[in-house]
Amino acid sequence: MSDTSKEDELIANLRIIIEGCATDPIDLSNFSTTTKVQEIGLDSLTILDMFYDIEQETGISIEQEELVDFRTVGDITTLLINKGA
Amino acid sequence: MKALFHLIEFALARVLLFFFDHLPYSLNCLISKGAANLWWWADFRRRRVAQENILRSGVETDPKRARAIAKRSIQVFSMLVFESLRSDQFLEGEKWRDHVKLDIKPDVLEVLEDPNQGLLMAAGHFGNWEIAGHLLSRYKPIAGIARKMNNPRIEKLVQSRKARARFRPIPKYDSNPGRLMEVLNEKQILALLFDQHAGSYGMQIDFFGHPAATYKTIPMLHLVTRTPVCYIECIRTGPMQFEVTTSNLIQKTQSGNKEEEVRSILEQLNQHLEMTIRKDPTQYLWAHRRWRD
Repeated sequence: MSDTSKEDELIANLRIIIEGCATDPIDLSNFSTTTKVQEIGLDSLTILDMFYDIEQETGISIEQEELVDFRTVGDITTLLINKGA
Repeated sequence: MKALFHLIEFALARVLLFFFDHLPYSLNCLISKGAANLWWWADFRRRRVAQENILRSGVETDPKRARAIAKRSIQVFSMLVFESLRSDQFLEGEKWRDHVKLDIKPDVLEVLEDPNQGLLMAAGHFGNWEIAGHLLSRYKPIAGIARKMNNPRIEKLVQSRKARARFRPIPKYDSNPGRLMEVLNEKQILALLFDQHAGSYGMQIDFFGHPAATYKTIPMLHLVTRTPVCYIECIRTGPMQFEVTTSNLIQKTQSGNKEEEVRSILEQLNQHLEMTIRKDPTQYLWAHRRWRD
């Protein structure tokens, strides 16, 4: 699978995970690699939920230092691709 | 108008601090007690909440005795404010040994002394949680969520008085949701009070046998960042005298059943807090609405 289609698949999965985690209504209509996580309006608990679910879904273990190093959805998908998702 | 009000408020705070700094300890205690009594009589709503909470918890069944506990608990809270403001004087250097009996469990101590590990420190509104944080900041820098004062002058004053040079306040409504993870990534201590009503964000966990909406932040941070958690209590045993005790580390690994893992950690924390409160119910801040149903 090419990196682009892999990324598209990850974005679709990420969107499902975020929708499942969010406690308040969020707008994911323009959800893409350039979407800033902060702009989606996710609170810290939803972000933690999201990372937990990502680890469970992908079987990938995300290190503590990697958790603070993301700003956009693309940062998360790149991290997951680099870790072999 | 607002600026003028802030200025007046600031001036009053400075006067109050001047007295706190220069009057003898015993007189300050009397002032604190007086202020607490005034609050007790003026704030009918809090008074009622405190009494109801005590009766509901079952730590006391007699309404009159519950009222006495509630009143004393407000006085203890007032002492917390006063003693925290003075804590830089009696905790500096090695002086703290004359005022605090410290019982840190060996596994927690190992984490505190390891520069490559952070620690999640969970506490309730019991005794003097500020002193507990102050003391542990001797091991590692500590950060905690703090509500910013509405008055910026007072906020600046409070921050300057926080003797804990190694304490970093994180504003309650910080726009950066990754701020808490940053603290742990820097291998510092993240201190959180876990016994506030969490509303729809929380999980219903029994507290004295009654479900209470409890924040999931501590267990979720633990499960995702793998930072160990410990419970901490700081009992006030006398004037400027405290006993700070930690639990052993609470550790869980992801199993896929997120709900169950979070519940298990929160139940352990609530059980620790219940045991602490039973030691001296007058030291718990009953006036906050732990159960809202």
